[in-house]
Amino acid sequence: MLLSKLREALICLKAGRVTLPYPFKPAPAVAPGFRGKLIIDIEKCIGCAGCANVCPPRAIKVTDVNKEKRIIEFFLERCTYCARCEEVCPEKAIEMSNEFETSTNNTQDMHIKIELDMNTCQRCGRCFVPTNPLDKMMETGFREDND
Amino acid sequence: MNIIKTLQKKFGKEILEAREPVKRKIYITIPKKAIKKFAEYIFNELKGRFIINVGTDTRSISNDYAITYIFSLDKEKTFVSLEAHVANDDLNVDSITPIIPGANWAEREVYDMVGIHPKGHPDSRRLVLADDWPGGVYPLRKDFPYDKKPKSAPEWKVPLKKTPEKSTIISLGPFFPVLEEPAYFRLFIEGEQVVGCDYRGFYNHRGIEKLGDSKLTYNQIPFIAERICGICGFIHSTCYCEAVEEAAEIEVPLRAKYIRTIMLELERLHSHPLWLGIAGHIIGFETVLMQTWRMREPIMWLCEAITGNRKTYGLNLVGGVRRDIPKDLHPKIMDVLTTLEKEWKTLLRAIQGDTTLMMRLKNVGRLSNEDAKKICVTGPTARGSGVDIDSRLDHPYAAYSEIGFKKVVSYPEGDTLARTLVRLEETLISIDIVKRALQEMPEGPIMAEITEEIPPGKEAVRVVEAPRGEAIHYVITGPDNRPFRWKVRAPTYANLQAIPVMIQGLPLADVPITIGSIDPCFSCTERMIVVDKRTGKEKVITHNELLEYSIKRKLK
Repeated sequence: MLLSKLREALICLKAGRVTLPYPFKPAPAVAPGFRGKLIIDIEKCIGCAGCANVCPPRAIKVTDVNKEKRIIEFFLERCTYCARCEEVCPEKAIEMSNEFETSTNNTQDMHIKIELDMNTCQRCGRCFVPTNPLDKMMETGFREDND
Repeated sequence: MNIIKTLQKKFGKEILEAREPVKRKIYITIPKKAIKKFAEYIFNELKGRFIINVGTDTRSISNDYAITYIFSLDKEKTFVSLEAHVANDDLNVDSITPIIPGANWAEREVYDMVGIHPKGHPDSRRLVLADDWPGGVYPLRKDFPYDKKPKSAPEWKVPLKKTPEKSTIISLGPFFPVLEEPAYFRLFIEGEQVVGCDYRGFYNHRGIEKLGDSKLTYNQIPFIAERICGICGFIHSTCYCEAVEEAAEIEVPLRAKYIRTIMLELERLHSHPLWLGIAGHIIGFETVLMQTWRMREPIMWLCEAITGNRKTYGLNLVGGVRRDIPKDLHPKIMDVLTTLEKEWKTLLRAIQGDTTLMMRLKNVGRLSNEDAKKICVTGPTARGSGVDIDSRLDHPYAAYSEIGFKKVVSYPEGDTLARTLVRLEETLISIDIVKRALQEMPEGPIMAEITEEIPPGKEAVRVVEAPRGEAIHYVITGPDNRPFRWKVRAPTYANLQAIPVMIQGLPLADVPITIGSIDPCFSCTERMIVVDKRTGKEKVITHNELLEYSIKRKLK
């Protein structure tokens, strides 16, 4: 009995103080590959809406105002940090940052809204981002169609 | 033993259809009126363990309802599923609860959700739905929209169990004071002794199954499945993915299986210390709480380094896993595990001689081997009562058959101490499994190439050994890139039903640790939003009162 109490005391003494003085001092760095608040690069986004399709909590909303304008909204208070959008983005426009201190009084802080100027394909009527695609294809290389 | 042949010999033409699409998964279709006979034979003669009862609205396919009873034959390592069709105009089936007490909740849930009434059920009160949910509205039927909110109907309030004469009622809950989770136990007390109890729970029902078969897609469900439980989430997403993979006949790469195994065991490694800490907290032994949680923390950091998040790993997709475990992380994992092993052994040696602890655990909350088999409990609760089941061995999944997991820890005593010892020893085995898996892990892809769509109408059932017991996912694939039916059974669902037996005759102060000893996870058990309206003038014990009461007992 006494021996076991002594052993327990020894464990505690050996461990010492382990609690970090957070938030008075900044938290230690997160591990590489951490999935924090997402950031989006508007320059790279082509408005394909792939991220909205896979998002499990439906935090990404795509609205076509007209054939020339597409609005993509991120409601990050709904985000579950699964990083599926980052994974499927064909242009690598979405990246998960290291930011995790996202608590706020104002939900607007967690909203990202981007407006994209789109063009309409003469053949299928679907919209695509103007100017870039052809230039981009020249940059990245392409495969000629057989027909 | 060929189970199909045995059953055919016994029942002959009553078996309408028998098939075995995957090895050791037997699906049998029987007429409705034969359910009781089959269940009795499988439970009593073949020693099958009842695991799950699923009601499905199949009106769009065959213009009737389907009810499925799934049994696990642990010795033969086989699942037997009995399916019967229930015609629209007569939604009654014979209840199997009088034969198998463990089917009690499952049958009531099917009635609440789909409306198939178990005739002859000893306690057919409402279980899952809210107290003010209108009668005759069954949320899991396909014509019920997922976002509908029916009007409150207080007249449907669930009647409480009648208080036995001479006894006093003590309410534990609806916010269960020790574990800080919603569950409501009404204990009937005579003097200091518990003579009975009434359970009302499911305050956390979140409608996840409904979302799964009406809104989400195959690859979105793993992420919501992961949020069924706050502690063993990865188990649920693995179980779901494996079920879909089995239904769609997708071959998962071996490396992905190994990664799943490693993460599953890491989850067990942070769950068991967490439980030991909570158990210590319940009986007023705060040193254990502080120290086990300190030991657990490096495991959480490790998970963050591997997956990008402490808890919700988001690693699983149908067909494999999303992130690899890079080579340069291996030494770090080994380090953390070695430290944990050393510290865990030191802690064990320290608390084993602690007589106060033993006094609180020994001969408390006894669950006999017989009762454990009848109520069909799982996991450490079953193994603490001498039932040698472990789905890692009985129904191998992920890479357990490759790793060669062989040893099941089991104690025959059936008291709280036995359940504690099972968990303590399992932790050391888990450390060993992770180490071996890391060394044996083959190179290769981590995601299967899926080129075809998942065919509709296939069914599969999968089980994964969670830290608390067996998590079971049953999937019927459907059109529109989502399951037609997805049914989840968390381990606490089975184990919680054994609580009335365990606390019978106990002094009140031993109730918290007994309930705590099954490692209950209420949010796991309850998967859908329900608001409770509690009335009545019963005494409610607060957290501090109960804790104080529990701690004082130790000093007596």
